[in-house]
Amino acid sequence: MALKHRGGWWPVLCIGTTGIILAVYLLLVTSNWIYLGWHDTLYFFSKSRMWERFWLTVWTATVSTSLSLLIGIPAGYALSRFRFPCRYLVASIIDLPIVVSPAVIGAFLFGITTRFPFDWISEYYGIYIGRNVYGVLLVQFTVTAAFCARLMKASFDMIPVRFEAVSHSLGASPFRTFFKVVLPMAKNGIIASMIVVWARAAAEWEGLMLFVGATEGKTDIMPFAIYLDWNGGMMGWVTSMSLVCILMAISAISAMKIIGGKSNVW
Amino acid sequence: MKLMKTMVVFLLVYSLFLGGQAYGGEKSLLFHAGLGQRGALNEIKGIFEEENPDIKVNFSYKGSGYFIADITRSKQGDLFMPGEEFYLMQAVERGFLTDYDPTTDIPAYFVTVIITPKGNPKNITKIEDFAKPGVRVGLGNPKSCAIGIWDEKTFKKAGIWNEVKENATMSAKCIPELGNATQHRAIDATIVWATTAVLYLRDVEIIPIEQKYRGIIRLPVGVLKFARYRDEAQKLMDYILSEQGRSIFHKHAYAVNSVIPVDNQGFCLDGTTDQDMEYLVNAAKAVKDESFPVTEETVGDLIEEVLRQRKTTRAGD
Repeated sequence: MALKHRGGWWPVLCIGTTGIILAVYLLLVTSNWIYLGWHDTLYFFSKSRMWERFWLTVWTATVSTSLSLLIGIPAGYALSRFRFPCRYLVASIIDLPIVVSPAVIGAFLFGITTRFPFDWISEYYGIYIGRNVYGVLLVQFTVTAAFCARLMKASFDMIPVRFEAVSHSLGASPFRTFFKVVLPMAKNGIIASMIVVWARAAAEWEGLMLFVGATEGKTDIMPFAIYLDWNGGMMGWVTSMSLVCILMAISAISAMKIIGGKSNVW
Repeated sequence: MKLMKTMVVFLLVYSLFLGGQAYGGEKSLLFHAGLGQRGALNEIKGIFEEENPDIKVNFSYKGSGYFIADITRSKQGDLFMPGEEFYLMQAVERGFLTDYDPTTDIPAYFVTVIITPKGNPKNITKIEDFAKPGVRVGLGNPKSCAIGIWDEKTFKKAGIWNEVKENATMSAKCIPELGNATQHRAIDATIVWATTAVLYLRDVEIIPIEQKYRGIIRLPVGVLKFARYRDEAQKLMDYILSEQGRSIFHKHAYAVNSVIPVDNQGFCLDGTTDQDMEYLVNAAKAVKDESFPVTEETVGDLIEEVLRQRKTTRAGD
């Protein structure tokens, strides 16, 4: 869909602006990498602590994204297709976790997990709900579920209703229509949204800070670990872990492009 | 197909319960601890868990300001060790800590020191130098961190508070911000705890403060009222207060003398902490200069810290 180049100052200005922002981002990465130095990069990248935290981040984000998708796909479909009472009210309540700070979610989660029936469960099993890796999953899920539903709605909105109408007229049930017609058509949008949701989950830490707290090796996913090490003056860990986060983000976006994710934001 | 689905669901539910039980099998303590104590407490946890295999210690590291809200709301936790006595007193006032004894429950102390960027560009040697025109001073915000309160106390005692306020270019929310700013040369001088200064041996200069302006800050620990495993929590607290526990704090530049004479404001009265200050200054030299001898005589218990920071240019590990 690219426009043919027709000269003039406006395209040059636009491309130039893009170039400036690109240069700024590249400068951010390279200057920090130079600050870290090659010797230290190798040192920190070869530490098992780095990769334990990396896997912790990857698997928690993956589990919570899967849970979000289980909720988000039906919810997004409902918001996109069905008319039900108080639809706008429901939609704006679902949007809440997107617009309020994740810190609020962290603070509010206390309200649920310390009351009936959760206080019984935690008493019976002798555990503290939310002080372990399940707390991390809970925070990530709560923050991303809304996000996921919203993105899924956008994906389903892009598909014309006609196809479903045809499917219905040919005698398919709504259930069959959804899985055989709508879902395959929304596939690319869903993949693209999935990556956004995953990245959001992997970057979450404000809620964790309030609700979970850090137990090293158990609940300190990368963004949280970066904050902890920043507080401990460990600039080496801060910089090297940030670089790993950037590499992680680049691979996630490329993976999405390769498997064909496409939506109106990508 | 249906059988498989049932099996998967069954396995999922079963593993959830099993996981819960496995978790409940051992006694795991929830320990609310200030971020700043991370290095020392992780070391203590390692030794304590080895000696008591049936007890697990789970830290909930946060900024000290977050604790009181967490504890008020959740009523959870076994032990509490915030970064300053002030935060512990908040818990005592609200009745969360019933048996706190200020005379015995202090395992370690913070000591104030001056730090400047490497090379000390503005040639800061004493408290009065903070008032020199053109010195960019970093202060703590007294509303959010204890160093801010100590800044005010110290400079007021020296009679230069107004001049220092003029010079201040930064009001930090937490003490590591001051350390990081000095490391990155954003400020010329600031006051921090010795435990903070020791994290930046390679990138800052450490200047001990003369006795009458040297602050001694108490760092308490306590067992919370709603502790689930009171005996085990008490055991860990006793370990922290023991000679062995204190020696671990000493390795991270806390002062651990059982008695440090102070005046009613908390400033040093004698040379009890002088030796520690000398070790700290030597440690900063040793990390910057590979030829500096690293022995018990030169850096005391800071040996491990020096060797750790010598390994890399950017502190870590």
